[in-house]
Amino acid sequence: MTASRRQAALLAGGLVVVITAGLAAADISPSTPWRHLYLLPVVLAGLRFGPFVLREIEGHGPTRAAAEGIVTLAVLALSGALVGSLAARARRQRERYETLRAVQRVLAAPAPLGRVAARLAAVLSRRLGVDTAGLVLDEGRMVAGADVLDPRSLAARVLVRREPVFVADAGTDVRPRRVVVVPLTSAGQTVGALAVERLGDVSREERDALVGVGAAVGLALDNARLVARQRRFAEELEHKVGAATARLAEMDRLKSGFVALASHELRTPLTALQGFSELLATRPFAPSEVRRFAEIMRGEIERLGRIVSDFLDLARLERGLAPAIRRAILDPAPLITGAVELFRRTRTTHRLELHVEGALPHVDADADALDRVLKNLIGNALKYSPPGSCVRVRARAVDGVIAVDVDDEGPGIPAEERARVFEPYYRVRETAALGPGTGLGLSVVRSLVEAHGGTVRADAAPGVGTRMTVILPALP
Amino acid sequence: MYAIARPWEPRPGGLLSGAPLPLLVALGVLTAGAGVLATAEAVPLTLAHALGAGGAQGALLATAVAWAAPRGGPAPALAAAIVLVGALGATLAPFGAAAYLVAPVWLWRQRARLPGLGLARASAGLVAAGAVLGALLGAHLLVTASLTLGYGVRAPAPDVLAPWLAYDLGGNVLTTEAFVRGALFDRVQRRWPFGGAAALVTAVCLARYLVDPLLPHSLEVAAGAVFYLTLLSLGNCWLYWRSGSIVPGVVAAVAFFAAYRLLHVVP
Repeated sequence: MTASRRQAALLAGGLVVVITAGLAAADISPSTPWRHLYLLPVVLAGLRFGPFVLREIEGHGPTRAAAEGIVTLAVLALSGALVGSLAARARRQRERYETLRAVQRVLAAPAPLGRVAARLAAVLSRRLGVDTAGLVLDEGRMVAGADVLDPRSLAARVLVRREPVFVADAGTDVRPRRVVVVPLTSAGQTVGALAVERLGDVSREERDALVGVGAAVGLALDNARLVARQRRFAEELEHKVGAATARLAEMDRLKSGFVALASHELRTPLTALQGFSELLATRPFAPSEVRRFAEIMRGEIERLGRIVSDFLDLARLERGLAPAIRRAILDPAPLITGAVELFRRTRTTHRLELHVEGALPHVDADADALDRVLKNLIGNALKYSPPGSCVRVRARAVDGVIAVDVDDEGPGIPAEERARVFEPYYRVRETAALGPGTGLGLSVVRSLVEAHGGTVRADAAPGVGTRMTVILPALP
Repeated sequence: MYAIARPWEPRPGGLLSGAPLPLLVALGVLTAGAGVLATAEAVPLTLAHALGAGGAQGALLATAVAWAAPRGGPAPALAAAIVLVGALGATLAPFGAAAYLVAPVWLWRQRARLPGLGLARASAGLVAAGAVLGALLGAHLLVTASLTLGYGVRAPAPDVLAPWLAYDLGGNVLTTEAFVRGALFDRVQRRWPFGGAAALVTAVCLARYLVDPLLPHSLEVAAGAVFYLTLLSLGNCWLYWRSGSIVPGVVAAVAFFAAYRLLHVVP
């Protein structure tokens, strides 16, 4: 080989090295047109050695110089093609890693899944060098790159079959529109589909790479979902803990209020008992007067008894126990009538009306508990309604249950507080001043009714006031 | 996005489906019959050439028209007839070669009804690229043929060159590009990668030119034809791939054949 041809060979080889180094250093896509620079050394070798080889063979036959020329030409051409191919493969690999990094960056940003999917589609479109990229997530409910998922589309097919699909031409463009749709997989599950379209070729290598990208994106997406779920869970937990803390603080405040109130509630009958007993012990009274004092004292003792019973029931409730009841089969009508009659006798400031519609079926209940429920509700109605107003008690059988309504004409309970009146210690702020109370009565009512398998609720009465309704299961 | 928002329907039919088989058989019989009649000296050789070339090229254009517009397009038989009339006109009348130009004019007027034939307007840059490709190959052909094979290069009179140019534009090149690029390559590229599609249609293109009785068949000319036509075909495939139009390819091929007509070897 002559010196000039050796120089040409070295130049071509050097060009291969320089071009490879240049392309490796430059931050450019694998599909860059600069990759065709590898043609330069090949063309150079062809120009330098091709005519020489032809001339040599034509002039002197297959000489050693011609063979050397052919070998040099072949080596240069082969090395150019090989290095170019290897470099392109390395760039593709790098591109794939960078794509995955870009995907991770998108997924790491806290944002709603829809926005993440749209960003992901844009990033994949740019990084993969395709015309459009789209994502289908959440079993087709979330779509990026299109408005909606057509159930007969390629993406829908991939979601069902869980296999990549390549279509060499879709649409009616002048240039063929290649479509690749790969499943997004995570732990063997298909979590979505990635679709890319390009007006031009999508090589087998690119398609294989897309399958890998789909798996990586699926995994990353799944991880991001888990992180988002954990974040949501933590936020929910924080919210719940906050709410529970606030509730505890409220309970604490209510309990403190209750202690003061209970002391007052206990003190009042005790004071009355102390006063009347001192009067009876120190001064002579007429027999009728003594009887009147004894009636008053008995009323106060009953009041004390009710308060103590409420405390005991509350203590059981707070320990998570149902109130102690002794069930027996009984007719509720006499109980209801008795309770109403009792209040009619003792409270003459209100009109008390009783309507029992038809014969009431029997119930399996504790008579004392039902009596407490009824007296509590009627007592509240009388306490919180103005003198001269009417309190109506209505009992009826409806579809296997007994419903007892107690209506008053008081100021009523605001709608947002109706559920809370059954909580222990809770008293409606607007009506608390209308009468004494511990805030325990309705919570005890509810626990007693529920212990019987029934319900109690507060509603607005027709017109004005409050309606308390007790529903109890009836015996067939 | 197509893959998500539109229903997918597999394309019906195979690669060669929709070819006008009865018409092709008839044109094949005409071409073979012309050869037989010429061999038997029953008809003048020029007439047999005209019938044979017109029949074969008409078959190419008819197939291209049939594939480009399966429904509602012009009749393939009409396309074949226009090419055949051009070939006969060139043989029978003094200035009859002008009849070849009917085919490109007719095709261009029918382009709206032939959406799949690549009759779209191409960018000026790609048309110029086609002209440069054809001119480069033609110039290289002239230099190589004159230096290596010893063929002389002449500057023929316009009345000699013009009929050949008309033949190339309206018959030889147009029918080949319409069939090979506009119809066949368009179909194949929608199934295969570009490289495979280009290789297949280049092989078809080579076969079409190598069996053409109007081209010389000496070994050195055949070897040269393989070299140049391969490059020309690959280049035209790329031009069609980029532009979606056969116009740049037609320009490249006409330029190349114009150079070829300057050689003395032209019969």
